[in-house]
Amino acid sequence: MTSRRDFLKVTGAAGAGLVLGLHLDAKPRPGEAAKATFHPNAFLAIRPDGTAQITVPKVEMGQGVRTALPLALAEELDLDWSRIEVATAQPGPEFKAMNTGGSTSVSTTWDALRRAGAAAREMLKGAAAAQWGVSIAQCRTEKGFVLGPDGKKLGYGALAEAAAKLPVPKDPPLKKPGEYRLLGKRTPRFDGPAIVTGKAVFGLDVRRPGQRFAAVLRCPVPGGQPKSWDEAKATSVRGVKAVLKVPTGIAVVADSTWAAFKGRDALAATATWDEGAARDFSSAALEARSRTALAGPADDARREGDPAKALAAAAKVLEAEYSFPYQAHVTVEPMNATAQVGADGTEMWVGSQSANRAQDRAAAAVGLKAEQLKVNVPLIGGGFGRRLGTDFSTEAAQVAKAAGGAVQVVWDREDDIRHDLHHPATLHRLRAGIDGAGALTAWTHRIAGPAVRRSWTGGQKAPSQASTETNGAYDIPYAIPAIAVDFAEVEAPTPLGWWRGIQIVPNVFARECFFDEVAHALGKDPLRFRLDLLGDRGKVKFGRDEADIRRLKKVLEVAAAKAGWGRKLPAGRGLGLACHAYDGRTYAAEVAEVSVVKGRLKVHKVTCAVDCGLVVNPAGLEAQVEGGIAFGLSALFSQITWEKGRTVQTGYHDFPVLRLGDMPLIETHIIPSAEAPSGMGEPPVPVAIPAVLNAVFAATGKRIRKVPIEGGLI
Amino acid sequence: MPAYQLTVNGRSRTIDADAGTPLLWVLRDTLGLTGTKFGCGQGVCGACTVHVDGQAVRSCQTSLKEAAGHAVLTVEGLSRDGSHPVQKAWIAEDVAQCGYCQPGMIMSAAALLKRKAHPTDHDIDEAFADHICRCGTYPRIRKAVKRAAGGVK
Repeated sequence: MTSRRDFLKVTGAAGAGLVLGLHLDAKPRPGEAAKATFHPNAFLAIRPDGTAQITVPKVEMGQGVRTALPLALAEELDLDWSRIEVATAQPGPEFKAMNTGGSTSVSTTWDALRRAGAAAREMLKGAAAAQWGVSIAQCRTEKGFVLGPDGKKLGYGALAEAAAKLPVPKDPPLKKPGEYRLLGKRTPRFDGPAIVTGKAVFGLDVRRPGQRFAAVLRCPVPGGQPKSWDEAKATSVRGVKAVLKVPTGIAVVADSTWAAFKGRDALAATATWDEGAARDFSSAALEARSRTALAGPADDARREGDPAKALAAAAKVLEAEYSFPYQAHVTVEPMNATAQVGADGTEMWVGSQSANRAQDRAAAAVGLKAEQLKVNVPLIGGGFGRRLGTDFSTEAAQVAKAAGGAVQVVWDREDDIRHDLHHPATLHRLRAGIDGAGALTAWTHRIAGPAVRRSWTGGQKAPSQASTETNGAYDIPYAIPAIAVDFAEVEAPTPLGWWRGIQIVPNVFARECFFDEVAHALGKDPLRFRLDLLGDRGKVKFGRDEADIRRLKKVLEVAAAKAGWGRKLPAGRGLGLACHAYDGRTYAAEVAEVSVVKGRLKVHKVTCAVDCGLVVNPAGLEAQVEGGIAFGLSALFSQITWEKGRTVQTGYHDFPVLRLGDMPLIETHIIPSAEAPSGMGEPPVPVAIPAVLNAVFAATGKRIRKVPIEGGLI
Repeated sequence: MPAYQLTVNGRSRTIDADAGTPLLWVLRDTLGLTGTKFGCGQGVCGACTVHVDGQAVRSCQTSLKEAAGHAVLTVEGLSRDGSHPVQKAWIAEDVAQCGYCQPGMIMSAAALLKRKAHPTDHDIDEAFADHICRCGTYPRIRKAVKRAAGGVK
């Protein structure tokens, strides 16, 4: 019989890397004895009826981790995919690294999940072997059963209790790719059925007993504070229960979201503000400072050869300025969190990409220890980096503490845009030196703008800040004798954050478009020029990253071939291409086919080739390519601008997002690979913009160096 | 304060709320039908799409008073078990990414197919012109609508 103490022993015996921590609560179903559930590690519980619960250590926001990560475990354990349940982890001692971003979920958890599955498989085989009196070698597993000699067969559920008593193997054998039954096959999203029936629970769908709803009146200028307000205007709105000053503004707590919004609007009409340090901030002023910084001091991210000398010696120097604006995330589910902070409970429900930070910071803000605040992560209605921030979760805990009981703090669309943690605007100055023989001998790329990295380091300047801010630029993969890439920081008083594709989006836009300019200036085919300058090289180190140039060349060649690069197109149509090795891990190339009619850009098709190592779920990968390209194309037409310290934009009407009718055909080609899996959430984004704008040049001869496309017309 | 009567997913409901309360919040906060989503409250994103008397409408722009006396259908009422052809097509094409905007998309698709059994690409563009999916599921939405219409072309 396995007692609770035995459970501890079993889990405690496991090798490092397999078990993230001890799990005392085996989560039995009603009427089911805890002891009978096989729970060899934090990721897995097998119930007596044979169903398996897989706990995913990352959060689902559309990128497919609640499908891909269980697949890794289920593969090794030979689970019956139709008999699994998926749970999202809760931050705590077992799950200390729930941070979900950087396209790293598969690459950072895949080994632990596979090992967890393999260890459980060996234990189940061991239990069956003992019961049958045969050797483990005579046993194998298939779809939730252990199979033995002479047709012997036992389900995992029946073996769970005995398996739980066995030691957890430290180094269980892993399957070879040829043995995969689930990995590499198209698996539909696990949450699909719940989503299409409206049963899926997102943060805004959380409903707790006695729950109330709150809207917060915040200063339209980030960092500003209310000076005066007339509370009675809000409390006279039907359904409003309380008006409370909180650190981020004034919370209106009501018995419905609508009453909270109405009360907040009534309050807004009465409020006066101390707008704070950002009150004079404007996009025009930032641009002027950034332009000055293009010629001032900067931090080196990469310096090879002697670029100044090479430029001085060049027969011809090309120079261009590129510009990319502030962008917003505009997840369709606006920011929200539900919290309860009082004698009746301390718990939070928040769609956070950074659940551990959300827990730490919210707890600290309301005087709790992190472990006293239980955090649940429901499904997330779009993340794109926005929900790495903890502003909205901390605020909800503060409102809940002030109000008592369970409170859901709901942001409306305007709140969401105005108080986003924006991606900041950057200016780019690029120079290329060409010698008398027509060779590219020097490349310099100066980037000027605010540093996003500081948002992640408490405002401090990280030693690697210049690399982060020039990511996508400093790792230019082409063989050029002299290269200088540097970052000139320009201060901005608005909160910043990570945005899908991060600074790689503007940086690769500028890099790949300017590279195209150089190719055309030399009269060379942009594909040929890229392949020539990628050269016959293998792995190349760029600062902190290393990229395999052969893999980059391969995606470029495949995308170009599949798109019919070089074919004759009618007037007004063009093909453009771009490529990038994302963090040196995922290789992507895209070829866009566009037309321009009366200034209106139509992207007909994007052909994408990717190499992200072993593919866990091709269906999920293709979805990320389609979504990533849509995200990139959207940015061609959207921007956040600032005047008098506030965003000019307030909604989807003036911050447009790509619509269905403007979505191009997407063709995805996956390069087969046995390399370890990397990531796909972000890599398709940065190449989309330069591929399209290079195609615009091919179609029209017009070089677009500024995003968004001014007036939406070319 | 008069109470308002409306039919939601075939069931008669009496709602005691202000006349101007958007149907969206009646569904979500009063009736607990959270399948209908809040995206913008400005009638621009389509996440809140429901049917009123069979027509796709933005529930954030439809007041309780306007909905009173009419039949409202939400994603929860589209089928008992996810068996509506649009829901089945959505699964077959693996449309959803984050899934948040999808109930609104599904309600617009169902209304479109009711109106036009075999929509053209242009019809599909128009039917979804006022919908936003930030994840970019559009290619699969197009395929799923065609599948639900009786064939993938």
